[in-house]
Amino acid sequence: MAASHSDSAPDVGPDREDAVSLRDVRKTYYLGEPVHALDGVTLSIPRGSYTAVMGPSGSGKSTLLNLIGCLDTASEGEVFVNGTEVSELSDRDRTRVRGDEIGFVFQTFNLMPKLTAAENVALPLVFQGVSRSDRRDRAEAVLAEVGLGDRTDHRPNELSGGQRQRVAIARALVTDPAIILADEPTGNLDQETGEQIMGLFQRLHDEGHTVLMVTHERPIAEHAERVIHVLDGTIERVEEIESPRRVETDV
Amino acid sequence: MDAAESFRLSWRAIRSHKLRSALTVLGVVIGVGAVITFVTLGASLQADILGQVGGERTPNVYVWAGPEGQNGGPGAGAQPVFTERDLDELRALSGVSAVVPRGIVPTAAVSSGGDTVAQRQVIATSPASFDSASFAAGRPFRQGEREVVLNERAARLFETQAVVGDEVTLRLASGESVGAEVVGLLNASAGGGPFAGLDSQPLVFVPTDPFYGTTIESPETGETQRVYPTVTVIAEDFGAVAGAKTDVRAYLDDRSDAAALVPDDYAFSVRTDQDLVDQIEELLSTLTDFVTGIAVISLIVGSIGIANMMLVSVTERTREIGIMKAVGAQKRDVLQLFLLEAVMLGVFGAVAGVPVGILGAYAAAEYVGLSLVFPLEWFAIAVGVGLLVGVVAGLYPAWNAARTDPIDALRYE
Repeated sequence: MAASHSDSAPDVGPDREDAVSLRDVRKTYYLGEPVHALDGVTLSIPRGSYTAVMGPSGSGKSTLLNLIGCLDTASEGEVFVNGTEVSELSDRDRTRVRGDEIGFVFQTFNLMPKLTAAENVALPLVFQGVSRSDRRDRAEAVLAEVGLGDRTDHRPNELSGGQRQRVAIARALVTDPAIILADEPTGNLDQETGEQIMGLFQRLHDEGHTVLMVTHERPIAEHAERVIHVLDGTIERVEEIESPRRVETDV
Repeated sequence: MDAAESFRLSWRAIRSHKLRSALTVLGVVIGVGAVITFVTLGASLQADILGQVGGERTPNVYVWAGPEGQNGGPGAGAQPVFTERDLDELRALSGVSAVVPRGIVPTAAVSSGGDTVAQRQVIATSPASFDSASFAAGRPFRQGEREVVLNERAARLFETQAVVGDEVTLRLASGESVGAEVVGLLNASAGGGPFAGLDSQPLVFVPTDPFYGTTIESPETGETQRVYPTVTVIAEDFGAVAGAKTDVRAYLDDRSDAAALVPDDYAFSVRTDQDLVDQIEELLSTLTDFVTGIAVISLIVGSIGIANMMLVSVTERTREIGIMKAVGAQKRDVLQLFLLEAVMLGVFGAVAGVPVGILGAYAAAEYVGLSLVFPLEWFAIAVGVGLLVGVVAGLYPAWNAARTDPIDALRYE
């Protein structure tokens, strides 16, 4: 009798150890007729894990990334980011969670063209109200960490593609987020540079950061511990990688 | 986001497209400059004219009967309605120190020293109309004597300038010639009073007795009396002006000969110097407002320039807005950035527009020979307007930027 109500009890709630978890999340767009971009996705990303998301275009992986990144809200279900349910939050609070808990790395880098590397990295701190000197110090520290300690005052157009992506990664790291979301981070880079970036992600993972990476390249995905295959808005299968691919030459 | 960082980011955005920003600011500079120029000119013109009119303010009340609703200057369209009895009654009012009638004696010409010049009229008045300070030479005429007073322009009409003691001959419109002695010359600054207008023309003053011949039978007493078109009531002091004005009007409306004589659609005008100054001031500010209104149009065009540039700027920087939002910028932060950019453009324009406007006013004042009076509060207003223009022009574009969806913005090419 006592066990019967445990189905609805909150003990199946978000695991405190999860950086991100989704429960039965649906995202429906109404384009004349309802389109289910995500159709009942339940998923948890443990703290310190390295996960890749794969799937053909239109499978819903971008929608998944947007929901976790607090850029979009679920139509149904719950999304927990570092223990906070974000679906019901106001735009303002969701933006705050995004700034504090999420670090984005994009395929096209998305750096501010008129800001220097250090200013780009410090940008998230500007919106958190961190003082100017603290911003500068932290940005320089993180840039040094990604191997760009000597490029702090360069503008994006004075940097190579790989260097730009490092700046973007430094920007994602500077707020010490719960999770780093990388959307095709090597998509605009050549093979060798891509490898170096994957080496950087590998190092971040080794240092205990949580990484979620969307990619459509199998060899890239194999750097992760787990690959989530998404198809038609549902999780097709979760593949554990026995021995993730390692990048030999670290930066 | 703190204000200093907002300023830095907005300033960088402005600097990143210098030419476009400069042209946009130029629009506001022209607008604000035009407003400042015209407001300064208006204020200078007003000060200049009021300095001329209001400088010699007297405790006088000017009375005449003109066509109803006519808004002309003092004495416009005045009909001779004020009889000698009216003057006596007015003199008896409390607070009145003197009552000076003024009439026109039509003439054909005036001769002096063998030189005859055309003169359409001479002014018949009483000695009380002269202020002893306004004489360059001589004294006022005496009532009942054949004496004249000339103003400076009138004295210079003759080949040999008329001096005190000269004999002049007035050739009246009736064809009769009357000799008189010049007893006084007015100095250059003495005008003919408000009834003579602002510009200085040759004026010849004569005593009403014996020169003024316009008469009528008083409706009250039946006696034949002189009747005058305009009367100046001089109050004892400035404090008595208001009371005298009220009493004069009450008397005129109530029991005066003038009330009986005045044509039906004529009304009495009872004005003080202050009323005249106020009237001129009102006229001038209407003129200034009108011209300023035209300048404000150019300011509006300038602000449309800001709005236009900001809209383009927001579209161009859609992706940057997406980036900022992705890394935690609130709507308010984005709104603040773009609004600040617009406000900075507006304020720069206003601040640069003020000296441009002053320069414009200076050039125009030099051209027309006005001395400049700077309406200082307008400079503050100009900067305020620049601020306002920035806010108004920037609000919609900034709001557009603030509500940009970060997902779309990041995908924007």
